[in-house]
Amino acid sequence: MSQEHLENEYLIYEQERAAMLNNNPSNNGNPLLNQDVEQEIQGPSRTLWGDAWNRLKRNKLAMIAAVYIIFLVLVALTCDLWAPAWLGSPIAIDSGSSAGLSLLPPSAEHPFGTDLLGRDILVRIIYGTRVSLSVGVLAVSISTAIGLVMGALAAYYGGWVDVIVMRLADIFLAFPYILFVIAMLAVIGPGFQNVFIAIGILGWPSIARVFRSAILSVQENDFVSAARALGASDWRIIARHIFPNAVASIVVYATMSIGGAILTESALSFIGMGVTPPTPSWGQMINDGRTYLATAPWIMIAPGLAILTTVLSFTLLGDGLRDALDVKLKDA
Amino acid sequence: MALEKKFIGRRGFVAGALATSAIAALSACGKKGDPAPAAPAGDEKAPAEEGKQPAAQESGAATQGGTLKIYRTNPASIDPFNAQEDQGISVVYALFDTLTNFDFEAGELKPLACESWEANEYATQFTFHLIDGAKFHNGDPVTAQDFKYAWERICNPKTTDSPSVIAYHLAPVKGYDEMVAGQADALDIECPDDLTLVVNLSASYADFPYVVSHPALSPVPSGGAAEDFQKFFLAPVGNGAFKMDGEWVDGQYIKVVRNEDYHGEKPLIDGIDFMIFKDLQTAFTEFEAGNIDITDIPTGRIGELSQRYGVSDDGYVANPGKQVINGEETSTYYLAVNCQDPAVEDKLVRQGLSLAINRQAISDTLFEGSRVPADGIVPPGIDGYKEGAWEYSKYDVEAAKAKLDEAGLKEEGGKRDLNITLVCNSGSGHEDIMQLIQSDFEKIGVAADIQTQEWAAYLDALQNGDYQIGRLGWVADYPIMDNFLFPLFFTGAGDNRSQYSNPEVDDLMNKARQTVDAAERIALFQEADKMIAEDMPLIPVMFYRHTQIASRRVNNLYFGPTKLMNFNKVWLSE
Amino acid sequence: MLKYIFKRILQFIPVFIGVTVILFALTNIVPGDPIKLIAGEKSLSPEIELQLRAANHLIKVDENGLPLLDENGEAIPESLAAQYGYYISGLLHGDLGNSYQRKLPVIEIFKEKYPYTIKLALVGIVIEIIIGIGAGMISAIKRYSFWDILVTLTTSILVAMPAFWLGMLLQLLFGIKMKLWTGGGFYLPISGAGGAISEFQDWVHYILPAITLASVSTAYAARIMRSQLLETMNMDYIRTAFAKGLSSRQVIFKHALKNALIPVVTYIGIDFGGMLSGAILTETVFNWPGIGFEVYRAITQRDWPIVMGGVTLVVVVVLIISLVVDISYAFLDPRIRYDKAKE
Repeated sequence: MSQEHLENEYLIYEQERAAMLNNNPSNNGNPLLNQDVEQEIQGPSRTLWGDAWNRLKRNKLAMIAAVYIIFLVLVALTCDLWAPAWLGSPIAIDSGSSAGLSLLPPSAEHPFGTDLLGRDILVRIIYGTRVSLSVGVLAVSISTAIGLVMGALAAYYGGWVDVIVMRLADIFLAFPYILFVIAMLAVIGPGFQNVFIAIGILGWPSIARVFRSAILSVQENDFVSAARALGASDWRIIARHIFPNAVASIVVYATMSIGGAILTESALSFIGMGVTPPTPSWGQMINDGRTYLATAPWIMIAPGLAILTTVLSFTLLGDGLRDALDVKLKDA
Repeated sequence: MALEKKFIGRRGFVAGALATSAIAALSACGKKGDPAPAAPAGDEKAPAEEGKQPAAQESGAATQGGTLKIYRTNPASIDPFNAQEDQGISVVYALFDTLTNFDFEAGELKPLACESWEANEYATQFTFHLIDGAKFHNGDPVTAQDFKYAWERICNPKTTDSPSVIAYHLAPVKGYDEMVAGQADALDIECPDDLTLVVNLSASYADFPYVVSHPALSPVPSGGAAEDFQKFFLAPVGNGAFKMDGEWVDGQYIKVVRNEDYHGEKPLIDGIDFMIFKDLQTAFTEFEAGNIDITDIPTGRIGELSQRYGVSDDGYVANPGKQVINGEETSTYYLAVNCQDPAVEDKLVRQGLSLAINRQAISDTLFEGSRVPADGIVPPGIDGYKEGAWEYSKYDVEAAKAKLDEAGLKEEGGKRDLNITLVCNSGSGHEDIMQLIQSDFEKIGVAADIQTQEWAAYLDALQNGDYQIGRLGWVADYPIMDNFLFPLFFTGAGDNRSQYSNPEVDDLMNKARQTVDAAERIALFQEADKMIAEDMPLIPVMFYRHTQIASRRVNNLYFGPTKLMNFNKVWLSE
Repeated sequence: MLKYIFKRILQFIPVFIGVTVILFALTNIVPGDPIKLIAGEKSLSPEIELQLRAANHLIKVDENGLPLLDENGEAIPESLAAQYGYYISGLLHGDLGNSYQRKLPVIEIFKEKYPYTIKLALVGIVIEIIIGIGAGMISAIKRYSFWDILVTLTTSILVAMPAFWLGMLLQLLFGIKMKLWTGGGFYLPISGAGGAISEFQDWVHYILPAITLASVSTAYAARIMRSQLLETMNMDYIRTAFAKGLSSRQVIFKHALKNALIPVVTYIGIDFGGMLSGAILTETVFNWPGIGFEVYRAITQRDWPIVMGGVTLVVVVVLIISLVVDISYAFLDPRIRYDKAKE
């Protein structure tokens, strides 16, 4: 879904940056088309991350997003300690009292109201953070890992390896993405771990493209030629010289991808192919709320806001990181 | 209002009149002390037809006219050829008249498209005498040949690419096996004259007249109307009180109108819009917005809706102010137990597990008490139902523990040496039921895992016997005991997922099928039922009940236990 | 130029084959027997099951179409390669097979469903063009103004918002609350695509689903438009134009816009394909009778002919559109032709 949109983010950034710097429009062609663009990438800089941090600190939006994400992570890690005691269990249904607690509107006791089975919506959203964040991070880790290997293979060996890998990427990208994920889940079955596996496996082509182009541009640098002349092995060159130089772009891309993966997970859970109940997931909660759209809209509003703020935070943080790290990328 | 007309362009809509009537409806609600006037479903329905006089509410006499709007999911088929699930069957039922019809209110099988029938003494030959003068919607007379044609159409591999999957209804008819295998082109059915249908069976089956009440066995015009399969499939020509208005618009709607040439009593309403929705959620939102007359009730809203809209007196007939339909259905929710699995092959273990399940709690917690704890596989409403028929289909923790002790599974430190895997299909709330059962099992020291599978994968596992305990629902095709016992427990029967086999039970059921006398037959089935109850090849959990609601303008809608709606007597008030 | 077009078409063939082979492989390893599923919860009699398998090329048949049996009386399964062959040869004859569950030719089902999805996507594209490009232009021209901030903010939010959730909010507001507030005087239909049973004219049914479907794309179109226009405005020739004393209206509409529009239009073209497949959620929320949901349902029901046919159609449309976009682009910008040919 949002997979393909990620590439747009780069496109937009490119133009804004160009406009800002008012540089010579040597690369004003359409980046959506596969056009090689000369890139300037410096050798490893000891102060890269330090500089980046300084720049990031000054970006208020990105900092707010980062703080929010840290907050979510803390919530996800520690919720067992305090949430159930405050708001009750996110999963268990108390058969004795559920009828009386069912579909209560928001109140002091239940800030976001209760669902059909009398469970507190807020506590379910809190636990849903776990699902969303872990699906996001794990799925992106998988696609990054696959993407890195594929991208490295394609860029480093070139020739027919490149052709095959890039054709494979084309095939994956030509597939209607959401249908592909659903078909994949039909094969491996629904459920939390299968969701991130499916999203992860199908997310590699974009990252492979990004990494491939990053390598291609680094490869032309002197220090790589020097290393090669000294007889370093292929993988050593990739690991020691190319990867560190491409890592900034990967970090940025991965951060932004997390938002996309979270959206995909919510969509899958919404149509019932994702995380299975009783594990609370935001998409699933929105789906639960469809029945009560007219009478109890709070059921679907709160989880939607949770998705919105979380995804927005990852996008803003990604934006901030991109500016801070001065990542300049094109997929080739 | 001008703006509204311009942008909305509603058909046949008189803005001022509507606004007034809507406000009137709202205030009427308020007076009744409506607890939630926020969503007066059905009340502010815009009149679809112009110039209709509003009828006096509730007390008024039945009025003619109006179009009933009903929520449906996209049916598998509205052609009797493939009428296999209740959504499509309800349309078939409106379009077609079968030979017989079970009248639940009278508790007996009545003739519908025939005047009478008789069986020979071995219950192997049945003769139906058809009504004279009945016509199909295209004007063709309804004859015995049309029934023969319809039934052979179902069994003929060449009708489409294979015989219909519901051909099993006709399995008792002689010649069925040969015909579905493509080796013969006719069933052993004779038509001595236009109005006499003689059906020969390959084995005794005294309940056969009930079988022919199934809408799948409706007549199809043999005069050529059904020659173009696709055309007939989308717009069937029937012999019932309603006829198609245009084709079935896939995924959107099926529109039927009153058949003015119907030989019997004509319906009061002008027609029915079967409005197709992908899922209940959107449909229910439409109901609450006042755009649908009859819909299912989503889980968890029965109590609240019952309070707001009132409950039908008998659970089957909806009238204004008594709009929630909650009568018992002829279907049972149960746990199939794989009798071949070593962990549960001992019937004592199965009895123990059954006794551990708190059925009432499941109904109360998840269904607001709207389902009935099952005390056997045969639900009430079926002739031969006996209260407490299955001794171990009840909740008794101590007895459950005793059974497991007896089976040699002693409790040690709150645990027994028994691990159960419960499987269910994902996405329909079965997980919740399984969770409650899991906790019930834990209370007697039995550990249970829950495995959810996607529907397709789940059915595969059940069919291949690749499971331990799984959930299923059995919906009766015909309201007879036979239909609950024979398919589920006869050795090797297709739906015998428990892989149960007991020769004595088989003998008894065969004997029952040969018995023409109804009382004797039921007694034999009850005897078989008792033996099955002892073996517990499956664990009955709940009997289903209707969970439907009608809007305030719907009067005298009957929704029977087999999920067939009688549209012939419904009328709409404004 | 012809050579380039030919080359691009050739490039699509492996992609198309790759997509169908992967899909075909998936359908064959998915758990759940599609034929047994036709009967649903009830069992399917073995004779009928055999007939169904034979009719769908899953087992070998003799010249009369009757199933061939081996010495044990078992049916002989058709090889996967042969099944794929049947699919491809059917495809070349314009035949996508028969739906397992629905008993109708897949082509017939899609003939009915496809127009709804295409029409909805087209309405979405129109929204995207008018609002997306418009907002992007305003945002770029009045940079750092209130409107710019509003557009930037709104687009960021729309991009991060699950579209199905937006759809539900629209239903709540325009379908339910509006009807309540106006006493039934003004509201929009919240489901379906109109037709004989609707009290609204058909086009009214498109409003909410189209907005929902177009939301994310419109946001992107606006952002791309904004950044493109900003970049173009900084170019030398635009500066020159300003220097020559042309009014900003003239500069923007005569010079800058044309250049800036190209990538936006490219994006919108490519996005059309995304809308076709991404419509599942919108179709679910609005009960829209399109192909997205049909294919999704078919996956859960293992109705493979519909899945294969549906995905094939979407992929073909996506490939054709990207081809058209590429070609028209090559016409507009000679450099690309050169680069591509070099590749």
